[in-house]
Amino acid sequence: MRRLALFACLCLGLSVHAAPKKEGKKDTKKAEPVIKVVAPPAAPVAALGERPAIWHAWTDKEGQKLEARFCGLAGEYITLQSRDGRTFHFKTELLSAEDIAFAKTCVDRNRTSTFSPAVIASAAADIDRLVGAVLVANKQTLNAPATDEQFLRRIYLDAAGRVPTALEASTFLASKAPDKRAKLIDELLSSSGYTMQMFNWMADLLRVKDTFAKAVPAFTFEDWLKARLAADTPWDKLVSEMITADGRLSDNGATGFMLFDAEMPLDGVSNLMTTFLGTNMACAQCHDHPLAEWKQRDFYQMAAFFGATDGKDEAIGSAIKMAVRSDASLPKAATLKIEQMNTFRMEDSVKQKLTFPKDYKYKDAKAGDPVTPALIAWSKGEKSLPVYNVNTKNPSQLRDEFARWLTSPQNPRFATNIANRIWKKAFGLGVIEPVNDIDDLAEASSPELMAHLTFVMKAAKFDLREVQRVIYNSKTYQASASATPDLGKAKYLFNGPLVRRLSAEQVWDSLIVTAVGTYADNVLLRRGDDLKAMALPAGKVTLAEIKNAVDRTKAAFSGSGKAGPKKVGGGSTMGLANGYDGDKPVSRFSLMLARASELPQPSPETHFLRLWGQGDRLLADSATNDGSVPQVLQMMNGSVGKLVADVRSAAVMDATKEKAPDAQVTSLYLSYLSRKPTAKELGAASQSLADGLALTDLAWVLANTREFLFVQ
Amino acid sequence: MSILPSANLLRHPEDRRSFIEKCAKVSFGLSVLPFFTRIAEAAETPGAAKAPNAGLPGFGKAKRVIFLQLNGGMSHIDTFDPKTGASKGPGSIVSAKGDMQLTSYLPQTAKISDRITVIRSMTAKVGVHASAAYLMRTGFEQRGTLQHPTLGAWAQHFLGSSHKTLPSSVTVNRSSNHGNGWFPAAYSPLPILNPADGLLDTKSPVSEATVAKRAGLLAQLDSSFGGKATDESVKSYNEFYESTFQLMKSTDLKAFDLAAESAETKARYGKSKFGQGCLLARRLVENGVRFVEVAIGGWDMHATLDDRMEEVGGDFDRVYATLIQDLESKGLLDTTLVVVASEFGRKPSFEGGGRGHHPLVFSTVLAGGGVKRGFVFGASDEKGYAPKENGVSPGSLHATIAHAAGLPVQTDIITPAGRPMQVGNKAAPQTGVFA
Repeated sequence: MRRLALFACLCLGLSVHAAPKKEGKKDTKKAEPVIKVVAPPAAPVAALGERPAIWHAWTDKEGQKLEARFCGLAGEYITLQSRDGRTFHFKTELLSAEDIAFAKTCVDRNRTSTFSPAVIASAAADIDRLVGAVLVANKQTLNAPATDEQFLRRIYLDAAGRVPTALEASTFLASKAPDKRAKLIDELLSSSGYTMQMFNWMADLLRVKDTFAKAVPAFTFEDWLKARLAADTPWDKLVSEMITADGRLSDNGATGFMLFDAEMPLDGVSNLMTTFLGTNMACAQCHDHPLAEWKQRDFYQMAAFFGATDGKDEAIGSAIKMAVRSDASLPKAATLKIEQMNTFRMEDSVKQKLTFPKDYKYKDAKAGDPVTPALIAWSKGEKSLPVYNVNTKNPSQLRDEFARWLTSPQNPRFATNIANRIWKKAFGLGVIEPVNDIDDLAEASSPELMAHLTFVMKAAKFDLREVQRVIYNSKTYQASASATPDLGKAKYLFNGPLVRRLSAEQVWDSLIVTAVGTYADNVLLRRGDDLKAMALPAGKVTLAEIKNAVDRTKAAFSGSGKAGPKKVGGGSTMGLANGYDGDKPVSRFSLMLARASELPQPSPETHFLRLWGQGDRLLADSATNDGSVPQVLQMMNGSVGKLVADVRSAAVMDATKEKAPDAQVTSLYLSYLSRKPTAKELGAASQSLADGLALTDLAWVLANTREFLFVQ
Repeated sequence: MSILPSANLLRHPEDRRSFIEKCAKVSFGLSVLPFFTRIAEAAETPGAAKAPNAGLPGFGKAKRVIFLQLNGGMSHIDTFDPKTGASKGPGSIVSAKGDMQLTSYLPQTAKISDRITVIRSMTAKVGVHASAAYLMRTGFEQRGTLQHPTLGAWAQHFLGSSHKTLPSSVTVNRSSNHGNGWFPAAYSPLPILNPADGLLDTKSPVSEATVAKRAGLLAQLDSSFGGKATDESVKSYNEFYESTFQLMKSTDLKAFDLAAESAETKARYGKSKFGQGCLLARRLVENGVRFVEVAIGGWDMHATLDDRMEEVGGDFDRVYATLIQDLESKGLLDTTLVVVASEFGRKPSFEGGGRGHHPLVFSTVLAGGGVKRGFVFGASDEKGYAPKENGVSPGSLHATIAHAAGLPVQTDIITPAGRPMQVGNKAAPQTGVFA
C-alpha cells in the first residue's frame, strides 16, 4: 500500500507543476521541469520487481499432466505455455477442480502489480484536468459526454477489437449500474479479444510477417508474441526479449524481430529506433540529417551496438546445400525451407565489425575506421543519467547493454514513445505527431499531458493494459468524438477522440463476429510447432538429420490427413485448418472465418484485410485507412457481401429468433451499429421488410452504412 | 448556386474550400470540379490560365502516362549506366541501338533503345526505401503529417477527369496510400492489387430489383450519419459509394479485363506480376485512364546481385521491351509517356555479392510522349558515384512528366490548409529530353 500512496502523491506533485502552457510557443525549457518531476524515483521501481513466471504441473480431468506457466484466463478458456515454449489454449473446465481454483489465484497474482481503482481514477482525472486546462487556455471545451451507445461501440472496438453482439449490446445498455462503464472496461481488457486486437496493433508496429527474407517462415515469432500478450508481459520486457534474443526461430520465437533485418542490419537499427524511440534517424543512415540534429556519425555509433551481432550462418546454409545435393530424392521445396530456417539465427561474436562507410564525407570520423559504440542523447544533461553508463568493452554483450539502455525508465524517449502510441490508439491521434518522430517534445499538443502519460507508463511498469485502463476511464476518452481536424491549421487539443474509419482488422473482426458470433474469439491459430519440426539438432548437419526434418515437417504440416498449408483463392487459407487451438474455424464463401490475428500475417494482398488497409508489414506503421472503389465493391458484391447477407449469419439468426418485425430490426441494429433504431429508421426498415426485402438484405444494408465503418 | 464563384470567394482558401466541397459530390463520374478549379486558378493568379511552360518543347504531348516503379533501388550501373573499372558489375557492357551502352542484362531493351531517353544524372539525398519511394512517387520529401498527391491526382486537378466512368488514375500492384494528397478523396488512384484479377466483384450476386431496393433503403438508413457527415473521411466514403454504384452500371469495365487480350499478346507480356501489370496498364490507357502506375519489387539487391539481375532484371527487360513495342504498334507511343523509375540507385562498390543503397546518382528512363528517341540525358562520373552534369532531382523529373502531360509547372495552387504548392515542388522541367 505504501507504493500506491507514493504513486498518488506523485500524481499530485505533477498537478502542481503542470501549469497549462500557452499555445503556439515552442518552449522546451518550460517542459523540462515537468518531465524531471514525473520521472519515477529508483526505489519504487526496484521494489515492484518482475512478475515471476508461475510454473505448475497442471492436471486435466483424465489425469494427464503438463508442466506449464500460466498465461491467461479469458472467458471459458485458459492459456498455458510449457517450458519448451508451446502454447496450449483450451476450455478451463477440462482441468481438475484444484487446478481451476489454482488458475484463479494466478489471475489474482498476475494482477497484484496493477493499479487500484483509486489510482486509476486519480490518474484518469489527471488526464482530464491536463486536457481541460489546455482547452480552457485556448477557449475550447471538451465535447459532450458520449452516449452509452457510442461508448459501448467505441470501447468494444478499442479494447476487444470488434463491435459487440446484439446480446452484449443490449445487456450493457439495459444495465442500471452506476459503474457499468468501468466494469465493461475491466471485462474487455481481460477478454481474449484484447489479446487479438493488441496483436494486430503490435503486428503493424513490429512488422510481424509469416515469412521474411526469401520466404523463411516465422510462425514461432507470432506464437511468442501472442503468448506474451496473453500473459500481460510488460512492454519493456517484451522489447528487451526481442532485442537480446539468441538462436534460431525454432529455439526462441523472439528472434523473429531481429532476424527480419538480418540481411540489412543498418536498416534494422534505423527501424528499431523509430519503433521503440520515435526517433527519426533514417536520413542519418546516409548523411547528416538536414533538419534534425542527428549526424551520420551518431547513427553509426548506435548501429555499432549491433556490430558484433550476426543473423545468418552462411556456413550451415552451404553445409545443408552440400548434404542435400548428394540425394536427389529429397523434395526441393521442403529442403530449401529447412536450409533457410536453420541458416538464420541470432548470434554475437567477440568482435565489433562495423566500420564507417567508404564514402563517409564528414570530418568527425574517417571512412573505413572501426566505429566505437556510443549512445545518442536528446538533451545535454541526459548523458549523465546512470543508464548511460554502458559497458562497451565486451562486444558479445553490446546488444544486451543496448537493450538495458533502450528499455530503461530512464531512457529519455522509450516510455514517451509507447505512451504516445497507446494514446493514439485510443484517440486516433498522438499527443505528438507524427508518432514516429518525437525527437522534439515541444511539438506535443500539450507537453504536460505527454509528460503525465509518460509518467503513468512508468508507474504502470510498462503494463500496456493498465495504461489503457487509465485512458479508457478518463472523461476525455468518454467524450463524444470530433471530426477529423485540419492539422495544417492548428494542433488538435483533444476535445474528445476522433471520428475514425475502423481499422482493416476492426472491420473484418466485426464482420466475423456478426457472421459466426463470439465463438470466433476462441479460434486461435498456432503454427510454431510446424516450424520447430524443421529445426536440425545443433551441430548436426547430416543427410540423415535433414531427412528426419523433412519427415517431421511433412507430418506437422499435413496434420490428421488434411491438406497442406497452401493458399486457396483470395487467401482463404483452408489448409491452415489443422493449425488451430481452441475451437476450429468455419469457412464460408472461401473465407476462413477467424479473426484477423488468427489468419496469415499479413493476409494475402487480395484478401479483404489488405484491401481495407492492413499493411504489408515491410515497414513499421504500414497500415492505412483510406478508401477505394474496390473496397466498396467487395463489401457490396464480393464474398464478404455474401457472408453478410447469408441466412447462416449469427446476426441474422439472432434477429430471426425475434417474433415481432420491430424486434427483428432492433436486433440487427444492435448487431451492426450497437444501438437501437430511431422511430424513423424503424419505420423505413419495417416498411422495406414488408415490401419484399429479407432480414439478410437489411443486414447487408446496415453493413454498408458509413455508420458501420466508422467509430464515433 | 451561381455557376461562377466570385473572385473574392476564390481568394479565400476557406470559402474556396467549401465551394470545392460543394462541387466535389461525385468522383470520377463527373468532371465539374476540376473545371471549376481551373477557373479558380485563373482567377487567383492572373495570366495563369495559360501555363507558363506552355510554349516550351514537348508541352502536352503525352496524353497519358505509364509510370513503372521498380521498388528496392535499381542498380544504375548494372542496367542503364554501365561502368568499367572497379565499379563494373557482373554483366558485360553492350552497345545498344540508338548509340548508347547498356549491360548484358537488358538484351531486349537494347533492341528498342532507339525509342528511349535515359536520364543518367538523377540525384537525391534519401537512401531509405519508404521515404525515397515516396519522393519518387510524389516529387516531394516526406514531411510530418502532410500527404502529397501523385501525378495522377495533379493531372486530374488541372485537366479534369480523363473519362466519364473510368478512374483517371490507377495503381497496379500496390494500394493507393492517400495518393490524392490534399485533393478530394475521389482523386485517389484506384488500386488493383492483382492485375490478373482485374477489378473484382463488379456484379451483384442478387437481382437488379433487389439491388435497387437495398440501395434505396441504404440511402434512408444512412441519412443521419453518412448523409449529414461533416467529417472529411466519412464524406470521402460517401463519394466512394457513389462512384461504385456508377461504375457497376458502366460497360467500360472491360478495360480491366485481361481475358479480352489475344493469347499471343498475353504470351508476349508473360505471366509475371510485372508482365500482367504492364498489359493491364496498356489496356487502361488505351481505354481512357490517364495515369497508371505499375509497381514491382525485387530490386533491393544487397546480395547475389548477379542471380537477381538475371531473374528480376530479365523479367523487367522482356516486359518493358514488349510494352514499348506494343504501344508503338498500336500507334499510342507518341502520345503515351512511359517512365521507368526506382527510388535510388546502388553503390559503385560491392559489399558481399551485392550493392548498398545509393541516392546520390541513379538513372530513370523515359519513352514516348514526345521525348527524344535513342538519347542519353546527363551523365554520372566515371565511377557512377555522383552526377557529372545536368543533375535531375525527383522534383524536376515530376515537373518534366507534368510538362509533357500539359500541366502548368512552377505555378502555385493553394491547398485546403492554405499553403501554396507546385507540381514537382518548384523544380523546372528538363525540356532537353523532348524532341
